[in-house]
Amino acid sequence: MSVMKRLSVLWVWLLCMAGVVAADQTLTPVPGRPAAPDFELQDTEGKRHRLSDYRGQPVLINFWATWCPPCREEIPSMNRAWARIAEEGIIMLAINVGEDEDTIFVFTADYPADFPVLLDRDGEVIGQWPVKGVPTTFIVDPEGRIAYRAVGGREWDDEQLLDVIRELQE
Amino acid sequence: MYILSGMDLLVKVIAWFVLLLPSLVMATVVRSADEETGLVKWHFSSGDVEIELIQRLPDQTRGFFLARGFSRKVADEIATACVFQTIVRNRGEPGAGKPVVIDLGQWRMVHDGNHGTIRLKEDWIASWPEGSVSQAARLAFRWATFPTEQEFRPGDYNWGMTAYGLPPGAVFDLNVIWQQGGGAQSGWIRGIECPADVDRLK
Repeated sequence: MSVMKRLSVLWVWLLCMAGVVAADQTLTPVPGRPAAPDFELQDTEGKRHRLSDYRGQPVLINFWATWCPPCREEIPSMNRAWARIAEEGIIMLAINVGEDEDTIFVFTADYPADFPVLLDRDGEVIGQWPVKGVPTTFIVDPEGRIAYRAVGGREWDDEQLLDVIRELQE
Repeated sequence: MYILSGMDLLVKVIAWFVLLLPSLVMATVVRSADEETGLVKWHFSSGDVEIELIQRLPDQTRGFFLARGFSRKVADEIATACVFQTIVRNRGEPGAGKPVVIDLGQWRMVHDGNHGTIRLKEDWIASWPEGSVSQAARLAFRWATFPTEQEFRPGDYNWGMTAYGLPPGAVFDLNVIWQQGGGAQSGWIRGIECPADVDRLK
């Protein structure tokens, strides 16, 4: 192989590696899959949601707040993901921490959320989950156990991430 | 016997350098200013770890906490304690990278030759007399400030405010420390400038 050809191959390989590094998104498996703490919260439409009612389905639970920049960034991709997974029997619940309905109402004028937004006004629910900062997202398996977690924002319409959640249905 | 030509050698050296690059821990610090706001940020990178400190104007922080139920006195105290929006990220390779553990209690700072530690969220909360700060305000403070201890798996990151307890305009060096792969690692971010207060901008 000529030297120029070798340099070209090396260059293409470098570009591929850069692409792989930039594209990777992850969900971290939670060792031992502990039981997810149950909760019952009202959403912004007034409907009550109890986690244990969704037993038998994977549930994506996202803890967030309106003032948190990465939380805002991931909302559009959560909408796109919700448009795909809602009909597949996967649940998505976004739990707002410590804010009232008015604040969220004003916020969703700029950042519409199509999925249920639950209100944890006093922070009681987030206090029972292993959360250090927002956004943090958990994937609860159909048996009600915490299977995966993601600390920080993600592009939730990434099929690679959604496939991990879909596999829990099998 | 095969003898490497100069170009062959160059290709192999570049290839080896790229393969070994991730294992070389070279800390870099980049200081930059936002063109619109003028706010300065420091971007520290070493191996899998990225740490960013972005200035928060005292007025910005004051407004944030006043809007969440803090009294003017406490909001002022926090706002003028040299607050930065802080981002920590583990850029390790998914499936292969090691977790990074941050404990802000281990970070050290040097200001005017004096050594000190950063002001942790637990220190703030302990300083407020019972009943002086509402439960809603405490909740906002808890989640808006950076956790004292946190583990970051590859791909994880977090945002939150950190406060250094120095007056607006002060300049300090920060020794950031983290645990990865069973050992402690560290690096310096030098010449960090606490954001100036509004009255000092006039």
